[in-house]
Amino acid sequence: MAYVATRGGERAIEQSERLFRAELGQIDAARVAEVKQALPYLVDRVMGEASLYDEDLAALALAQTGGELYEAVLVLRAWRTTQPRLTVAAPIEQDDLFTHRRISAAFKDIPGGQVLGPTLDYSHRVLATDVLTGTPYDPPAVEPAADPAPAHQPSVSAWQAANDLVDLPKPDAATGEAIPDLTREPLLFPSKRAHTLQSLARAETGGVLALGYAAMRGYGQAHPTVNELRLAEAEIVVKHPNGTEFSAGRVKVSQAEVVSKKGERLGLGFAATLGWNEVKCISAATLDLNSKGAPKGSPTEEEFFLYHTEGVEASGFCIHFKLPHYVTFQSSLDAMRDAKATRAAEQEPAE
Amino acid sequence: MTLASLTKPWAPMSYGFLDASAKRELRRKMVKAVCVPGCQMPYASREVPMARGWGTGGLQVSLTLINPQTCVKVIDQGADDSVNAASIRRFLSRVSGAPVTLDTLQADLIQSRHRIPEEILREDQVLVLQVPNPEPLRSVQPNMSIARQMHGDADYGRMWLQLYEQIVRSGRVMQGASYPSMVNGRHVMTPSPIPRWDVPKLHMAKHLTILSAGREKRIFAVPPYCRVEPLVFDDVPYRVEDHAGLTCSRSGAKGFFMNEVPQDDGTSAFELSDSEYGVKSIRRAEGDPVDLGDTWYTNGELTK
Amino acid sequence: MLTTPIPDAAETRSNATFDAILWALSRPGLPRNLPEPGEAALIEALLDRECAAYAGDPLLIPVLAQSGARLVDLSEADHVFFGRLLDAEYLRACRVGSDLYPDDGATLVIRARIGQGATVRLTGPGVNGVVELQLDGLPAGFWQERARLIRYPMGFDLLFLDGDRLIGLPRSTKVEVL
Repeated sequence: MAYVATRGGERAIEQSERLFRAELGQIDAARVAEVKQALPYLVDRVMGEASLYDEDLAALALAQTGGELYEAVLVLRAWRTTQPRLTVAAPIEQDDLFTHRRISAAFKDIPGGQVLGPTLDYSHRVLATDVLTGTPYDPPAVEPAADPAPAHQPSVSAWQAANDLVDLPKPDAATGEAIPDLTREPLLFPSKRAHTLQSLARAETGGVLALGYAAMRGYGQAHPTVNELRLAEAEIVVKHPNGTEFSAGRVKVSQAEVVSKKGERLGLGFAATLGWNEVKCISAATLDLNSKGAPKGSPTEEEFFLYHTEGVEASGFCIHFKLPHYVTFQSSLDAMRDAKATRAAEQEPAE
Repeated sequence: MTLASLTKPWAPMSYGFLDASAKRELRRKMVKAVCVPGCQMPYASREVPMARGWGTGGLQVSLTLINPQTCVKVIDQGADDSVNAASIRRFLSRVSGAPVTLDTLQADLIQSRHRIPEEILREDQVLVLQVPNPEPLRSVQPNMSIARQMHGDADYGRMWLQLYEQIVRSGRVMQGASYPSMVNGRHVMTPSPIPRWDVPKLHMAKHLTILSAGREKRIFAVPPYCRVEPLVFDDVPYRVEDHAGLTCSRSGAKGFFMNEVPQDDGTSAFELSDSEYGVKSIRRAEGDPVDLGDTWYTNGELTK
Repeated sequence: MLTTPIPDAAETRSNATFDAILWALSRPGLPRNLPEPGEAALIEALLDRECAAYAGDPLLIPVLAQSGARLVDLSEADHVFFGRLLDAEYLRACRVGSDLYPDDGATLVIRARIGQGATVRLTGPGVNGVVELQLDGLPAGFWQERARLIRYPMGFDLLFLDGDRLIGLPRSTKVEVL
């Protein structure tokens, strides 16, 4: 038989996957634990983009994909989507966040104080090559402050609202099942506010940065000031069927508020994610700040940036171009050749 | 009431991978898609264990329709042995226990990328087409909100203008695959990127076709016995690819859509794009008792 | 890697029910058998907490509540279970969607007797030429009201239920009263 037997294709894809997995070797609980401990910020990024908060599952996703980030997020999302939705947790208020880091660029000092918390912002980015030649790096001990910052902080925008500088968004009355859920319904435009914030929270970090950066450089209408950036832990409060409310645990969250002058008031952009993702939050909040009234088709228009920062879709479409396209190509060739032949035939009598 | 009563017993995977609520949403959208042929219905489009753009839309439809008795065929570019077709077929069978086939005549459900098989599909068969871009207006209007408004207004003027400009510039419509087509006289759809050769197979067909774009989250359908008319001008007729006179170098079959295979000597050889029809043709030529179904084209001419 | 999951009774029933619904709406006017009689199978296959439903027959309220669907007024419902429809005027309140989102048009389920009563002639997508349909138990003026309310692609889609037999009538079907 002249045609390739089907088994050929099946064997090829099986062996190609084996090649990939063989490189990674055995994956066990210890490796997952190591990933979780060694790479918490990467785990946070994956949890944010997958919109699933589970450090162990995120670390497992990273381990089994060898750190191929798009694959890790996809495998986690594909797992997430099959899980039952048991309940909707109570809303989280800024004031209730157990805050680790909280800074404002808008004021020298703010009520509650600037809290630097853990950051590499002021570190000198020197590669610790000594580690490779046998000298382990032991981090110096942290010296506790004599006067620790309070765990709970008011929001900066609340102060600004009290001083008539900013209009806070109207509180969203939707609760529980009535909150629109992007993972259960399509994103349509103009987008529901909940969908916008969910979409930004799930967005691919690099994509949000690229478009957010474009807006910051001048392709947006508003130049952001970081009003408040927070890394914190939030209590997940759910209701037992018997009516008791209880905390199911804490999750790491990050959020950013950016502002810019809009006439006599401040415009406000906001973003929040699961896990600590500073760059993403600031970029996403900048896009949010710029989206109001953005021209159709501009990078700061909601439809434009929400569609194009959806990492699972974008990366999937990008790699789909590896699939054979010879039927569509054949169809185009046919039209091209025919047009060319027709033109040649038309020109002949004139010569 | 207890927390446990709100959910069902834990299982590593739902039947057909998708959970019941995902399937119900797809069912509701399929109902609407069939009731308004050619109109793109938005749906949530869950993640599936395959990359977006690799047939996740078609896969979600197949996973919803499938049961342990459904005989499934999967093709990519007309071929059952294409690696992604093999991958999707293996996945469908693995999560449903459904039998698989390569033979179009045996299949209850056919999931396909870029082709419709050459053998005429029956009333009891369902064709699921994977769609990368569901929006026929994308080339004249990339903004989806504006494009939706244009569909709402049946405002296809710019689409017509684009075709007209092609004729003026190149002497013919230059659209290759995914030729824009009017469905039931109301909605222009892109018939997934099937070649022009395959579009007439959708017109007044006996079978139901469901087109699903997972990444773009849109589903649409062509019911049986539904008008599907490529957009053409009265004086410039619709033209399928010029394959009517080509002969398959492997099976000897003539008058079907072909793959062009460049040769070392600078010429081209051709082989049937519908690989299993090619296999069956060869086997018949070798004297095997093979069922070859009636085909939409006979000697390169549309038969129906 | 993973064992193949086995469908449970609910999955098998929903799958077969939807197969009948899809088939019926793809072939307007031709009856198709459901795995079991009554609205419950349709509700199980189609509805959950993401839906808003209306029950014309109070006996269906517990079934709908079990599905998680919100019980709402006729004008807000995406799925309407009339039971027997007593007055064609009820159709006026049903959602027809918009030109932008025709999918917002409701799905209506009405009990009727198939093969008895007045005959109508169907044409349109899914109909091979012409199909004649006999339905009994519909209120006076039903077809006129339907024709008046459907502004294609806006409209509602109908499922007629007679025990375990189902007939589909999408908004795309043209109906001629004989």
